[in-house]
Amino acid sequence: MPTLPEQIGGVLPIGGPLGEFVAGLIGAALIGTLMMTMTALAGPWAKRKITAAFTDRIAVNRIGPFGLLIIVADAVRLLSKELIVPEGVDRPAWDLAPLVLASSALLGFAVIPMGSILGLNVQLADPEAGLAYVFAVASIASLGLVMAGYASNNKFSFLGGLRAVAQNLAYEIPLVLTGVSVVLFAGTLQLSEIVAAQQETLVTLGGVAIPSWFAIVNPFAFVLFVIANLAEVGRNPFDIPEAPTEIVAGYQTEYSSVYFVLLYLGEFIHIFLGGAIITTLFLGGPAGPVLPGLVWFLIKIWLVFLFTQWARSALPRVRIDQLIEIGWKGMLVLAFANLVLTAVIVGVISA
Amino acid sequence: MSLEQPRPAQPDVGVTADGDLDYDAVADLLGEHVIGRESHVNAEAFVIRPDEVDAVLSTLKQEAGFDHLSCVTAQEYRDRYESIYHLKKYDAPTHQLSVVVPTSRENPVSQSGADVYDTAIWHEREAYDLVGVEYEDNPDLRRILLPETWQGHPLSLDYDQDQPQIVPLREHANPLEKRTEVPGESDTMFVNIGPHHPATHGVLHVETVLDGEQIADVDPDVGYLHRCEEQMCQQSTYRHQIMPYPDRWDYISAGILNEWAYARAAEDMADIDVPEYAQVLRTMGAELCRIAAHLLAVGTFALDIYGDFTATFMYAIRDREDVQNLLEDLTGQRLMFNYLRLGGVAWDVPEPRDEFFEDVREFCQSMPDRLEEYHNLLTGNELFQMRVIDTGVLPPEEAKSYGTTGPVARGSGIDYDLRRDDPYGYYDELEWDVVTEDGCDNFARATVRLKEMEQSARIIEQCVDLLEDWDEDDREIQSNVPRTLKPDPDTEIYSAVEGAKGELGIYIRSDGTDKPARFKIRSPCFNNLQSLPVMSEGEYVPDMIAALGSLDIVLGEVDR
Repeated sequence: MPTLPEQIGGVLPIGGPLGEFVAGLIGAALIGTLMMTMTALAGPWAKRKITAAFTDRIAVNRIGPFGLLIIVADAVRLLSKELIVPEGVDRPAWDLAPLVLASSALLGFAVIPMGSILGLNVQLADPEAGLAYVFAVASIASLGLVMAGYASNNKFSFLGGLRAVAQNLAYEIPLVLTGVSVVLFAGTLQLSEIVAAQQETLVTLGGVAIPSWFAIVNPFAFVLFVIANLAEVGRNPFDIPEAPTEIVAGYQTEYSSVYFVLLYLGEFIHIFLGGAIITTLFLGGPAGPVLPGLVWFLIKIWLVFLFTQWARSALPRVRIDQLIEIGWKGMLVLAFANLVLTAVIVGVISA
Repeated sequence: MSLEQPRPAQPDVGVTADGDLDYDAVADLLGEHVIGRESHVNAEAFVIRPDEVDAVLSTLKQEAGFDHLSCVTAQEYRDRYESIYHLKKYDAPTHQLSVVVPTSRENPVSQSGADVYDTAIWHEREAYDLVGVEYEDNPDLRRILLPETWQGHPLSLDYDQDQPQIVPLREHANPLEKRTEVPGESDTMFVNIGPHHPATHGVLHVETVLDGEQIADVDPDVGYLHRCEEQMCQQSTYRHQIMPYPDRWDYISAGILNEWAYARAAEDMADIDVPEYAQVLRTMGAELCRIAAHLLAVGTFALDIYGDFTATFMYAIRDREDVQNLLEDLTGQRLMFNYLRLGGVAWDVPEPRDEFFEDVREFCQSMPDRLEEYHNLLTGNELFQMRVIDTGVLPPEEAKSYGTTGPVARGSGIDYDLRRDDPYGYYDELEWDVVTEDGCDNFARATVRLKEMEQSARIIEQCVDLLEDWDEDDREIQSNVPRTLKPDPDTEIYSAVEGAKGELGIYIRSDGTDKPARFKIRSPCFNNLQSLPVMSEGEYVPDMIAALGSLDIVLGEVDR
């Protein structure tokens, strides 16, 4: 299937390399805008409403219908705040960290197949090493966290930065290994192919066709991946780099105004990217009945988001040494076991 | 059950065969150390020389079994300074003894009791800070409530309140000074946790030295919320003006419990009777307060461990709201109840009585279900257990030495509850149990609070039964108390009640006027907080935060 920029390029009056560039730019802007809109919806509004539902409250309901205009109010509030640059911060690094965080998560969406809507196939690019690319850019975020932590000239930020590195090291490997087990099943790193591999019917139970989503084929890997993803995006029980009651706000302690918005934005886009990866690898991507693919895709992302918020409301935060232990002694071993087992099963089936 | 060592076979010196305290025998034990005897309302007092404090206190602790230094009160007379060590026994809190240490006005130096009781360190710091008695050998004699640069001692007699505190900025320790390393230890990092930090439950400053993520040294710095409560009480009349203040010490809805501390001290002192009906009302109100306070304690503890979006906290607040509504019905106020009066309470339960009783009963009966929810969310949660079991360990011996009381002591296996051991109100007529846990850790302290709420609900239910059936002609809520209360001059009393956080004691000395000459508050939080270094040194930062949460301090009560 043609990618989104190719489809746009088809209707643009200009052709050649310039046309490709412009088409790519338009496509990226569309996807970026979509993600930003979702983040705007999630950060100031949905998160509040969801947490409120978990905790017996009502949350924002005064401005606009269902309090939706709080998004506008919050945007104005956050952007009009004073940008305080603390004394002694390491300037270029301190300024770059929020950008690195926000953009690394956005970059991941370049290869995610988001299904089709109105006949358009929403996917910016479909490289053969798509999965490797997603994992690679998503982990650039760790660099942003370290930059923020080290450059802030604040001990809480420093601790937060160190914790972020330790945590991401401990969880990136199980995450990738579990992803690899999916690759073994699908036989490809190309994300559109991975999605396609999940479209066949696994079994039919009472007339209902159960698709061969990898979450159903290998639920063990799915659970591992979802847990590792919680650590990857830093939500309870792995809320450790921020840990508001322990180290104030971790790496983001010294950020205010626009920089804070960027960090916050980056965090949410990261959650959505995590959701997108889970959806693509385990939940059949944009597959689903009746509704267009893109809508299904967004629903699945939001379900993962809902899950992170649920974990946040219900689970305690583990201690940093416990987290490392869970990561290296538990998750890593399980991930390897899963990988070997999958390889054996796949080998037996194909033999 | 308790974790304590089996007690030696021979009874402590001074205990008679039927369990009473024989002051003469204790005086014989101390021999020539005693240079005088005084009689306080609840206890005999031995006067000793200021250079023999250590010897006297250690004899009393080792041989007479006084293992609980409840409070140290310092005060200034026209001719002398005086420090009073109020001693008790964890096994028998009614065995009280005061050790009075007079020092001259010219040279107010007294030996410290810090070698015998760890809790004396902070108490003596406070005495030094506010009154000006100096304690030799106290390992850490700095100001505690006031800034280090404060001039004069505000509770001393010649202190000029109008004197401006002129302190140039350069004399204050610079909070921004570069202090990342502790001299001699290059691998450690100094961190100020607080006074503005999400987990300090108020304005507490914890000076922390970190070795990596582990705590190398902790020094809680209190005093940010010092509001001169003691002095305000000294300037108010017994009858009406003091009662509103206790509400503001432990302001986390433990108001009636605090009021009772003052009411008990003043009533014992002036020999005021309280009608039985009023005692039942007090008991009910106090236990409602205890539930509200414990709910908040559990909720904020969850907040410390779960992070700021936890559902548990809001559940606790929701349930506390129900208690608050009941308390509002009863007292007319939601937080600053001002419900107790000397000799009774302000008013009877609201009309229609049946409706109120029904509400209270409904709440009490729903308590087991509500607690089930907390047990599911907290104590039954494996991640929670991972975090809190065997962290923040406070061994019973340390707990006693630091004078901890309340749920903190009971979580360390110390079976000590003034409601049972030194009965007041209507508690000894009711069926309930003292909850203790042997874990000595954060988990034990949280569990004690959860279980205590169940017991409180039991007490309240029995009170409601009693109140419902009370003879209509006998509903006396207030005894006759003189309009102006003037206790006999030089009456001294130290008495305590079981507050939400532990033993809340009041020392009052009267000088024959309608206002106390010295009013000293023994805050349970103040003592409990002192044990924070024991719990947290060597642990990780999150465990220190958890230990702080499990101590359940209210800075309004720590700083007074």
